[in-house]
Amino acid sequence: MTGSVTTARRAGATPSAGRRAGSYVERARSIPFLIPAVALVGIMLLVPFVATVYQSLTNDDGFNAEFIGFDNYVRLVQDPMFGRSVLNTVMWTVGTLILPVGIGLVIAVFTSQMKGGRWLRLAFLLPYALSGTATAVIWGFILRSNGALNQAFTFFGAIAPASGWLLEWPTNTIVMIVANTWQATGVAVILFLVGLQAIPTETVEAGTLDGASGMRLFWNIIVPQLKPVTVVVIGMSIANSLRVFDTIWLLTKGGPGGSSETLAVTMYRETFIISDYGYGAAVAVVLTIIVVGASWTYLRQQLKKG
Amino acid sequence: MMRRGTAMKRLGALSAALALTLTLGACSQGSASGGGRSDGTTVTLNGDRADFADGFALASDALNDITGVKLEARDVPSTENYQQIVRSSLKTNSTTDIVKWWNGYRLQELARSGGLADLSNEWDKAVEKGWVNPETRDSFSYDNKVYGLPIYKSYWVVFYNKQVFSHVGITPPTTWAEFESNNEALKSAGVTPLFATQEAGWTSFIWFEEILSKLDPDFYQKLMDGEAKYTDPTAREAMKIWSDMYAKGWFTTPDTAWDTEAALFAAGTVAQVPMGTWRNGTFAKAMDESEYGAYILPTVKEGGTPSVIVESGVISMAEKAPDPDATREVMANWLNPKVQEPWVNEIKDTSANPEVSTKDPVLTSVLDQVKAAKPVELVRYWEASPPALIEGGVQFLGAFMANPYPENVDPTLEKLQQLADMEWANWKAAGK
Repeated sequence: MTGSVTTARRAGATPSAGRRAGSYVERARSIPFLIPAVALVGIMLLVPFVATVYQSLTNDDGFNAEFIGFDNYVRLVQDPMFGRSVLNTVMWTVGTLILPVGIGLVIAVFTSQMKGGRWLRLAFLLPYALSGTATAVIWGFILRSNGALNQAFTFFGAIAPASGWLLEWPTNTIVMIVANTWQATGVAVILFLVGLQAIPTETVEAGTLDGASGMRLFWNIIVPQLKPVTVVVIGMSIANSLRVFDTIWLLTKGGPGGSSETLAVTMYRETFIISDYGYGAAVAVVLTIIVVGASWTYLRQQLKKG
Repeated sequence: MMRRGTAMKRLGALSAALALTLTLGACSQGSASGGGRSDGTTVTLNGDRADFADGFALASDALNDITGVKLEARDVPSTENYQQIVRSSLKTNSTTDIVKWWNGYRLQELARSGGLADLSNEWDKAVEKGWVNPETRDSFSYDNKVYGLPIYKSYWVVFYNKQVFSHVGITPPTTWAEFESNNEALKSAGVTPLFATQEAGWTSFIWFEEILSKLDPDFYQKLMDGEAKYTDPTAREAMKIWSDMYAKGWFTTPDTAWDTEAALFAAGTVAQVPMGTWRNGTFAKAMDESEYGAYILPTVKEGGTPSVIVESGVISMAEKAPDPDATREVMANWLNPKVQEPWVNEIKDTSANPEVSTKDPVLTSVLDQVKAAKPVELVRYWEASPPALIEGGVQFLGAFMANPYPENVDPTLEKLQQLADMEWANWKAAGK
């Protein structure tokens, strides 16, 4: 087969005609190669998703399941804890967009020019090598009422806040976003650095010759050229913030009283702690719609512009 | 040809990888929940307590001597994953013969799913031989049939650090007034008197349960059974006492890591820890009897009915047990003193068999106190109401611990009662 196509091309067919003629054959030939990937995605992703959607329409408790229509979704809308959970998820998304992306960009820009910047950068990159679980354990030591932060307050003669960092909403959500930022900034720095290195020196020089410097050079010359990287970094941040779980589960278990739960935590608690599998599945479906919807809208808009 | 050869090799490698994946998948299924062989000489048990492994091995040896059947225990370290595995495998052929579970409503939930075998015969025979207290039957039953046998009987007591107590010059309290003066003395000496945390989630119910049951055991029982309301005056009084204890600074901070409890207690940073005697094994690793002891919390009001919270893990037989005959044989002998003695001495807790004594000095002192005071035995909060109500309830109690102010008492109790109304209705509807 390979030989016959090559021969046909050699025989003088125009490239476009050859592509057209061979397209069906080529497509057919590519099918076996696609099967593993399609099967993998199908089995690992699509089948469970359809199963989850069906489960969300049942009152599955792990033993028995009856079809109950949209009752779980009605309960979701009426559940004040679900409202809090959505609000926290929004806070996480906004926080993760502003902090790791913003700080990552600043660090990348400054350290790429700075002498010894490579070493300074390392301090921001290293936490990225840690797992979310390890990060949460470290921040647990820092943030608990008898933890390092409050001890430092006392040591320097300041008064530690009466209510613990992890005990009051919205403080608990905010400090956890900060903890997550500490860990997640590294990847943004790396990606922005790659973007910075890809900017041709000529454009920057041309900008400088035209009199641009400082912030103007940054905003009008560098930032626009970082756009492709920024799209990726922001897209990743959105998806990461929506599915954040480990940090919250280890630091507060979503508490006290569910005050720091996000949708991913609510999904876990309803499914595996309360064993209300149907309700948990409904949360999972809502979360999936939000993640896919947000990512799709964002990327579509950005790629269209690009 | 060479290309073709490479392609063939790749295909071969892919097939091999696929086959390996499938095999590994099958293995993991078997090791996580599978029943394994059923040759009449070994029955399998699944549980969530890795620290019970040695105990089960000793019990297995004893069972083998008596019945010729061995017990092969495996465990899933995370309780959440374990529950999920049992729920999904209990009614299938891949279940183990025996599953470890909890008593009370948690057992009822499992029993009414139809996945458990009726153990009433085994229970009755154990009662005849005097191996178990017949009064505890209800907490192992559903629909008047027994579905689980106790694997331990933990009393909820207050463990105290003897060295700190003697340093401060106090002794274990026999009245609530003494309990309060002890706490004052400890606080003045710079020691946190009592351990409490909401960090682990479930731990939020401990003090609510202790105070309420010591205030009015009858009301506690009614509240747990859904016959009294969280908004009733007695529940409010208990919450006010709890709030007042917080105001006096007697507790550790509500976000203290639960896994630091034993270390804080051994170091004397915290003087007293309310906990089930199942925790004794952990304390015994770091301290000996000269360093720590245990007492039953006195009644809040002088002359009140003494009570103690009791908790039992259970083992239940799966309806679809791969080896039902051997499993029944094991169940019939589980409470035999010859099995219970090595088992409880290893796990350092008390046996549900009243004939079985313990070598552990701290547990012996607890049993002596129970014998002397004859307290009313109450089922622990965790197992005493429908699981969904308890899991939701600990959330509200945890939130209260973060803001333990008097003005937060009523809103917390109102939320608890709303939840109770809803979950009792759900429970009753699901049982029909």
